[in-house]
Amino acid sequence: MSLRESEIKSGPACTTVSLGNYRFSDPPDPSKWADCVHCGMCLESCPTYEQTGQEQHSPRGRVHLMKSVGEGKLEITEDLIDPIFTCLDCRACTTACPADVDVGGLIEQVRGQIRQAIPLTGWKALVSDFFLKGVFPYPSRLHLLGSLLKLYQKSGLQTFARKAKLLRMMPKHLAEMEAILPEVGVPVRKKYKHTNVIKAKGETKHTVALLTGCVMDVMFSDINEATIRVLTRNGNDVVIPQNQTCCGALHVHAGDRETGRRLAKQNIEAFRHVDRVIVNAAGCGCMLKEYPELFRDDPEWHEKAEQFAQKVEDISKYLHDTGYDKPKTELNMRITYHDACHLAHGQGIRQEPRALLTSIPGVEMVAMPNADRCCGSAGIYNLTHPEMAGAVLESKMEHVPQDVELISMGNPGCMLQMALGVMKYGRNQKVVHTVQILDWAYQKEEGKEVRI
Amino acid sequence: MRKTAIQTKDPHIQALARIVGGEKSILYKKEDLIAYDCDGFTVHRHLPKAVVFPKNTEEVAAIVKYCHDHDLPFLARGAGTGLSGGAIPLNGEVVISLTRMKRLLHVDLENRRAVVEPGFVNLKLTNSIADRGYYYAPDPSSQYCCTIGGNVAENAGGAHCLKYGVTTNHILGLEVVLPNGEIIEIGENGIPDPPGYDLLGLLTGSEGTLGIVTKITVRILKNPEAKQTVLAYFDRVEDASQAVSDIISAGMVPAALEMMDQTAIEGVEAAAFPVGHPKDIEALLLIEVDGISAGISEQINEILHICKKRNVREVKVAQSEEERARWWANRKTGFSAMGAISPDYLVQDGVIPRNKLPEVLKNIRAISKKYGLRIANIFHAGDGNLHPLVLFDARKPGETERALAAGSECLQVCAAVGGSITGEHGVGIEKKEEMRFIFSDEEIVAQTDIRDVFNPKNLLNAGKLFPTPGRCVEMKQVASSIK
Repeated sequence: MSLRESEIKSGPACTTVSLGNYRFSDPPDPSKWADCVHCGMCLESCPTYEQTGQEQHSPRGRVHLMKSVGEGKLEITEDLIDPIFTCLDCRACTTACPADVDVGGLIEQVRGQIRQAIPLTGWKALVSDFFLKGVFPYPSRLHLLGSLLKLYQKSGLQTFARKAKLLRMMPKHLAEMEAILPEVGVPVRKKYKHTNVIKAKGETKHTVALLTGCVMDVMFSDINEATIRVLTRNGNDVVIPQNQTCCGALHVHAGDRETGRRLAKQNIEAFRHVDRVIVNAAGCGCMLKEYPELFRDDPEWHEKAEQFAQKVEDISKYLHDTGYDKPKTELNMRITYHDACHLAHGQGIRQEPRALLTSIPGVEMVAMPNADRCCGSAGIYNLTHPEMAGAVLESKMEHVPQDVELISMGNPGCMLQMALGVMKYGRNQKVVHTVQILDWAYQKEEGKEVRI
Repeated sequence: MRKTAIQTKDPHIQALARIVGGEKSILYKKEDLIAYDCDGFTVHRHLPKAVVFPKNTEEVAAIVKYCHDHDLPFLARGAGTGLSGGAIPLNGEVVISLTRMKRLLHVDLENRRAVVEPGFVNLKLTNSIADRGYYYAPDPSSQYCCTIGGNVAENAGGAHCLKYGVTTNHILGLEVVLPNGEIIEIGENGIPDPPGYDLLGLLTGSEGTLGIVTKITVRILKNPEAKQTVLAYFDRVEDASQAVSDIISAGMVPAALEMMDQTAIEGVEAAAFPVGHPKDIEALLLIEVDGISAGISEQINEILHICKKRNVREVKVAQSEEERARWWANRKTGFSAMGAISPDYLVQDGVIPRNKLPEVLKNIRAISKKYGLRIANIFHAGDGNLHPLVLFDARKPGETERALAAGSECLQVCAAVGGSITGEHGVGIEKKEEMRFIFSDEEIVAQTDIRDVFNPKNLLNAGKLFPTPGRCVEMKQVASSIK
């Protein structure tokens, strides 16, 4: 008997348990769909149902579909891909659901099964492998890509490409994306490579680690800089563990849970010696907090992931909860706030960023109706599903107040998408990260000239 | 969204696709159809032949005419939140989904009416006119997502229907596609109560068996000047129901008078919108009064006095709109909240004379015991509309059947005390056999005769609302008509 027990314990950490027609390891968790009573309260919360009016593109319909596969009533076929992958994974349904059904978690687990049963082929596989497996997990390659982008922007190539109308050769949605790419700076990971600790200004109250993020650090290193300035200004020593990596959210959203687990392990190790992991990208923060989901069949790593998740906090909530200096100089601006899905629905953080903004003297907040409606960015959804992402963006932009100067939010993906919306619909707002506004307020207080 | 062309040789599907303008407006693959195999009533499931998404009345009429001419069964569907199975394609119907006909066409504040398409969501109407001080009164708990077209079909009620009446009291006009494809208008220009038979009344609540509504003129109301909400916790359910009777017999007509029992409270407190109700009380009452400001506080005082007289443990008045909204969100998501304490539930919809409540609840407890299934009760207490929620697990063999039997027995109890088997959810598939608890065979035939005037081929939503023929009179009629 005892022999048997030890056999079980020394067995493979990931067991191959199949469930209905889910035949690979790590199948979806049936207790998640057991909570769904098919009431339909989720319907109106779902952007893809709003666009199509079709229930296979609604949370309830998708849950029903995923359950049918689990009960062996439906096979995993090509035709399952459309309903399951058209989901934005925005989690608005999780907020709406009276029974707390974790639709997002189910979608990610089922995508994992579909991608194993029907691997990507052709150019889609090439592009996906290149970016998700070849670039994002490797900071040096990401930085190289950033440098190339910078070269493109600074060498005159961008001006040439735009003037020569070369961009017309690209698919429309990619050309649109090119137009709103921010100016690339120096990634903070690179900048602070040889700095062990970025010291707090004044007395050190806490020590925190910063997740620099992959896209964030290449496209929006200025936001990472602002985050560091705001943290140090408020008595935080900041460390940037150099062996950290991409959070894996894009991989998990795309169904590549194996790579997701690999990246998760690397991050859990990288941040082992710190008590607090501060994140300024909502998508990444949500993923880090959900690492335990990836290790349901692996008690040892599940435990580590649980401990790790406890340490993770979004910058806005961290500042709000631990206290921060209220800026004293006026920043006279009209600002509206957009809830990033993975901040509001994913992490339940809604009031904290708004509180940060309203604590700045002179800031006038203008409420955005349906502020927690997805903008259509959804990781790389705007690249994989441009048509739907465009439609979702269009209805988002209808709700953005006209008479504001800034649209504030807490996620880089949303920032790119909302900037696209501003450009596409001829609006004149500037899209900024919440922490940037706080940073400007501090800078102004210090008498520095602020360029917004 | 797929871009490929129609991938089937089925000529009907190709023809229907042509009517609605292509593959983005029709579903016909199993993976897509599964989402349509049931509505909010999940016990019966059946795949439709196809789902079509018309954009306007003309397309609806063309689809209906095609189905009529080719003897294809068909039915209409809104958000599919119905609780009696009215939108389930029992016969492999062509489902006509009206979710893309979702415009608010016209608001006429002066005459207090609005015109909407059938796929327009109930709550959106109130949201669209709230800033001007108006609202749409019928408020089914699913109002966040259910459509007004579906409300008309089911004659939906809601918490505030005690004072303001159910859907039928708020419908001024309908545009209807008849089962042969003909388009008619009833109650033109929103003039209420036109001469002749009350066809609006007949169509409203006909559960999608007489025609498909494509445009609806509804009555809108001015927001009440004042509103107050009371929450009362009772140790004994008898005291709570006595308080209900006392409030009504004191001559008050609250806007809403809701009750939840202990199991229901356990559900809502375990779910997404908990309020912090104590779990050891037998019942709570949620009472709302509204109207002109003068007199509201007197009414509230009287209600508080009645609750105290009936041994209330704790009673409080909402101190803010935010608090009131929290109490209502907790109540209105009550059915869905059962998901948090049970994998499946079946909701019944009996109506009873208010003074029979303690007796009926006692009998329901006995049914619960008999079948070994928990039953929660959420109750529009003011108008005697009881919702026993039978909790079960469909994965356990035999449990679905036991739940159905328990539900049916609850309705028998309601009928036996002089009540009815449905207040607002409709008969659908769920309660069609129970129609025999309150109607004789002759009475049922009298009603199916009316259906046959509108729907002679019985292609539209067949197998709903009335018991299947095969017993007595209707069968004899069929036999005589063949001769």
